[in-house]
Amino acid sequence: MSVSCLHFSSQLLLLLSFHRHVNTISENTTSITEPRVETPAPKTPPLAPLIPTQTAQRNVLLTGENHTEEIEVVNPVVLNLECIWPGNGKRLPNITGYWTKDGQTIETSYSNIQLENDLYRLIREFTIMNEDDLGNYSCLFGPKAKVKFIVAAPHLGEVRDKPIVSYVGDSVVMVCKMDEKKPQPISWNWYIQNGTNKVQIESDSNAHKYKITKDGNKTKLLVYNLTESDSGVYYCGAVYAVAISMGYMQLRVITYYEPLKPFMGILAEVVILVAVILLYEKIGSRKHGESAGTEENKDETNNLSHRDNDVAVAHSSTRQRKV
Amino acid sequence: MPPPATSTLGYTPPDGGWGWVVVFAAFISIGFSYAFPKSLTVFFKEIQEYFDVSYSEIAWLSSVMLASMYAAGPISSILVNRYGSRPVVMVGGLLVGLGMVLASFGTSIIHLYLCVGVIGGFGLAFNLQPALTIIGTYFHAKRPLANGLAMTGSPVVLSTLAPLNQFLFDSFGWRGSFLILGGITLNCCVAGSLMRPVKKTAAPVVSTESQSCVERFIDLSLFKHRGFLIYLVGNIVMFFGIFAPIVFLAPYAKHQGIDEYSAALLLSIFALVDMFVRPATGFVGNTKRIRPRIQYFFAFAVSLNGVCHFLCPLLPGYAGLVGYAMIFGVAFGMVCALLFETLMDLVGAQRFSSAVGLVTIIECAPVLLGPPIAGAMLDAFGDYKYMYYTCGVLMLLPGIFFFIMNYYNYKKLDEEQRRKNTAVEMKTAEDSVPQNLSQNEDLTTETEKLKS
Repeated sequence: MSVSCLHFSSQLLLLLSFHRHVNTISENTTSITEPRVETPAPKTPPLAPLIPTQTAQRNVLLTGENHTEEIEVVNPVVLNLECIWPGNGKRLPNITGYWTKDGQTIETSYSNIQLENDLYRLIREFTIMNEDDLGNYSCLFGPKAKVKFIVAAPHLGEVRDKPIVSYVGDSVVMVCKMDEKKPQPISWNWYIQNGTNKVQIESDSNAHKYKITKDGNKTKLLVYNLTESDSGVYYCGAVYAVAISMGYMQLRVITYYEPLKPFMGILAEVVILVAVILLYEKIGSRKHGESAGTEENKDETNNLSHRDNDVAVAHSSTRQRKV
Repeated sequence: MPPPATSTLGYTPPDGGWGWVVVFAAFISIGFSYAFPKSLTVFFKEIQEYFDVSYSEIAWLSSVMLASMYAAGPISSILVNRYGSRPVVMVGGLLVGLGMVLASFGTSIIHLYLCVGVIGGFGLAFNLQPALTIIGTYFHAKRPLANGLAMTGSPVVLSTLAPLNQFLFDSFGWRGSFLILGGITLNCCVAGSLMRPVKKTAAPVVSTESQSCVERFIDLSLFKHRGFLIYLVGNIVMFFGIFAPIVFLAPYAKHQGIDEYSAALLLSIFALVDMFVRPATGFVGNTKRIRPRIQYFFAFAVSLNGVCHFLCPLLPGYAGLVGYAMIFGVAFGMVCALLFETLMDLVGAQRFSSAVGLVTIIECAPVLLGPPIAGAMLDAFGDYKYMYYTCGVLMLLPGIFFFIMNYYNYKKLDEEQRRKNTAVEMKTAEDSVPQNLSQNEDLTTETEKLKS
């Protein structure tokens, strides 16, 4: 944006248009395959058939050298991406443009771009069918300009980044939520990390160990009878027609001894402090009592016996608690 | 002029020395009493999921604890009247610790209500009343300052417990945290051990046979005490509107589109201002000009709260809310610092223990009902400004009430004092002339001491 208005138009235009064509089947979708999803075949909702019949279009007018655009995909779709670049002033009649996916150049995408009406255009169609098709698609104008489209399934919000702590023999509830404003997933899955694999958790067979509740855009995993081996990383997946959006959380199972240690430390500190304070008072008043007259001695002994009772009460009660 | 309490106490309070250690101990006890129920909110989300209960059911935990704390007031007063502050605070510390430890093994939400709410609440009541009472026994001339310093415990302990609880939760989950918090609250026993009973040079007043069984434990004749009644009536109305603005500050900010962190920052600003205003108010309340008319100072503080809430809906944007949080911090801090000092000033240190017990159990209802009523109002009108206007009224009315009634009360007290003085003078004039001179000197030196 630092380059002056002589080179570019001063407005930042972002043209968005979505059209739905009921009958669109482009040359990229000759194979009508079921999207590869790691669940038993999801019940097809009436609005999202397995063949991508939806087409979406994104047009970006690039001002400056870089731009990033996020595209949320729920169902398989044919994505029409267009990049428009006004050039950098050199006004070359031809430049080379190409596309990359996740940093890898798409070999077939190299093309010569002509300057039309002071604009370079790069347009390409991508079929987003499953998880492999999601990623970062970038259009590049020579080495100069780049627009990155991040094509992904809806992200989970509010996932706890710190580990969840629970105790041996206790149970734990892990929650995953999809933002209210985002499309609701078809279903939810839970996985546990086993080495480098994600193993899906089945709630039916191990009803006394795991229980999964699915409630629209919220899901809960209950784990009972925790053992230390249950510690680890758990994944919740929001199942969409195109892919499963993952969130993860860490579970840490500890024994009761862990909090018990600081507790005993604090208990010891309290007992020591109380004993020191009361003893100091007893010694101090005894010294004062020796050097004073009989009347004050009477007061002191009354106070002393009162304080002795306090010390005895404190010690006996703490003795009980230590057991 | 308030009645010269030194003569009714029967001894000269130290006004320093070990008294400052007692102030520190009271700081801890008062701090835990007010801050502990509020600090538990960090654990609510996980406990709610664990026991599968609604948000209001879990929010009840704080309410039950606060209700128990206020309801156990009279019991605490009776025990303090009988045994003194020290044993009661130590038992209180043990109760809270025990409650939290038992709660860490809890298997149902009811279990938590009982352990944290009831047992914990009682324990906190056994900390609050004795801590306030013992300040009255150690201080007279510097009492407002001592009270202000001790009441600062509440925001300081809250600011410490809030991040500590978060750390405990991240490290140990809610069960382990409750266990460790049980240990931490045992430090109230340490505070209790510091509350050495003050040395009384004169013999204590023996209760007469005309007193009934109940009266020997708690002073119900307070209900005939003019100052006490003024205080009670004003406070009941005031407590309906005192906590709701704090509870709704962050939601109001978020409602205006402010992000969560900036909204939380408002509360931090409020707490920080509160922390510094309390001892400052105590200091100001101790000055020669304010001390004799400290009831007006309190009335001003209450009215300031009211005015502040009226302004809140009118102040625009985040900057306006920051300003509101600061002024509210000042007003709230002033009220809290003077809250119990004014009661001590009205009824005297001897009857204070019974007075505060009666006041807290009666205040139980407005304290608990205030925020839910404000919430219901919010749901009904959908706009925060009506709630703030109502809270403004609920604070301004008692403020004005305090001004008027205390003006009347001061007048009456001055009349009574004058009558007492002339009666004493006439009595000594009948006896002998030399004694007459010394009596007058005694009275004048006492009132001069109070003026300083």
